[in-house]
Amino acid sequence: MKAVTWTGINEVSVEDVPEPTILNDHDVILKVRLSTTCGSDLHLLGGYIPFMRAGDVLGHEFMGEVVEVGKGVRQRRVGDRVVVNSFIACGNCWYCRQELFSLCDNGNPNPGITEGLWGQSPGGCFGYSHAVGGFAGSHAEYIRVPYADVGSFLIPEEVSDTRALFASDAVSTGWMGAELAGTGPGDVVAVWGAGGVGQMAARAATLLGAEKVVVIDRLPERLAQVRQHVGAETIDYSATDVLVELREQTGGRGPDICIEAVGMEAHTPGAHGVYDQVKQQLRLQTDRPAAVREAILACRKGGSVFVLGVFAAAVDKFPLGAIMNKGLTLRGAQVHGQRFTPRILEHMARGELVTEHLATHVLPLDEAPRGYQMFKDKADGCVRAVFTPNG
Amino acid sequence: MDLSTIMSRAAGLAGGAGGEALKRLQHVRLPGVGQSSVTDDPRTAARRWRAVTVLTEPARLQESLPAPLAAFGDRLEVRVTPAPGDRGAELAARFRGPVTEDEIGHLRAALREAKALVEVGEVLRVDPQPHGHRKPTPQGRTVEGMAQRAPEEGVL
Repeated sequence: MKAVTWTGINEVSVEDVPEPTILNDHDVILKVRLSTTCGSDLHLLGGYIPFMRAGDVLGHEFMGEVVEVGKGVRQRRVGDRVVVNSFIACGNCWYCRQELFSLCDNGNPNPGITEGLWGQSPGGCFGYSHAVGGFAGSHAEYIRVPYADVGSFLIPEEVSDTRALFASDAVSTGWMGAELAGTGPGDVVAVWGAGGVGQMAARAATLLGAEKVVVIDRLPERLAQVRQHVGAETIDYSATDVLVELREQTGGRGPDICIEAVGMEAHTPGAHGVYDQVKQQLRLQTDRPAAVREAILACRKGGSVFVLGVFAAAVDKFPLGAIMNKGLTLRGAQVHGQRFTPRILEHMARGELVTEHLATHVLPLDEAPRGYQMFKDKADGCVRAVFTPNG
Repeated sequence: MDLSTIMSRAAGLAGGAGGEALKRLQHVRLPGVGQSSVTDDPRTAARRWRAVTVLTEPARLQESLPAPLAAFGDRLEVRVTPAPGDRGAELAARFRGPVTEDEIGHLRAALREAKALVEVGEVLRVDPQPHGHRKPTPQGRTVEGMAQRAPEEGVL
């Protein structure tokens, strides 16, 4: 079958690879209908997460049709149209029972790498390096889905493939940030990053009752999507001082909830951006945390900051004093998608949560290298390149 | 010797080095980076209890030790205690006599497999699975070596 593979730093290829097989009783094999690029893939492409092997199949956000079922699977049947969460979780360990699915104890067969980095290991993830299991990704005609009863969800008839696709990761990640940060009625929520995850965090905040939601980015086409499809306000950080703007818009308080949806390759204008770039390229820090710093400084006293962007290890100039002295709550997580997907699909079915506009470039698998290049360069207004492995 | 042979040999060495690197990194303490309990001196490390918390009734483990641990026979001392709150049972094991680091690695993997068998009924496999051409580069073999060693490393 055809698959999109990582073949080196900033190298993506389309190769013929063997088809997946059932390896565990709780697996299903899925015929992939749609699989999308995600901003976090760019950290793999750029070599910032150095645990990829040439030939690894990329992709972790996808939907499709069940074509084979393991003998231990109870909830899925051949022919089911499902969306699958990006993190692989057993559903039976203590973390899964607490609905902290991305922290699953049994989902990552390579725990030694991440325990060495972070002291504990998160669960596994499709197509996201050997640090989180080395599972083959979804930019392929077929994919093996472990623990399928836990991580796959039937798509309601009234929800299109494209809308459901983003329940896999972008919407569930955004929803998690808004909900676990404690968003409620009357809150002012600021979101850094107007990519798929940032837009969906903003939409989730609105659905959770936020009074006012503001999204911060520099790309006009993404900010326009926020206003048109998400119904939130926007700030162009390349044209104004974000901290001053947010204070002005919140009666001097700062936002109640600040959600970072940018990750380890944040762009920043001016000297701060140069400083972070140089330190990262010299490997003196692994991540560029500009948006996290700004979120912490912007947040009102006693407010809540949620880190949704992917970070690898250590950062510099982290405003710990602001967190302590302003009494902030700081939280982060990889996505606990299984917790939020059922209600996300309900919102999608009612038309309250739309995502089709994110799929700006729908391409056959053969054009994946071009799709990734456009996505990386943010060329031609690309928000997400979505692949159709089976036409 | 042609270039491809040189690259192939370098890659082979890197594979071993990747596993060895991961093993050695367990002893390194960098600010802000996790580490394994193997940072103890070898004698203390060999005698330390290594434990997983299993979401099950302690009695289940006391009645029948999971197969991956039972395979060690009398060489292991095993302790099962209730975990606080609703967390299940703490399953700990250590060797009765002197051990090598490799044997401690086998114990780590066995504890993780025992936990998975009790909680899920199976140990999650990842190979074989689809992949494209594996270029025989030192970086690739290093990652491969680390991944092969990873089930036996970590904080246990």
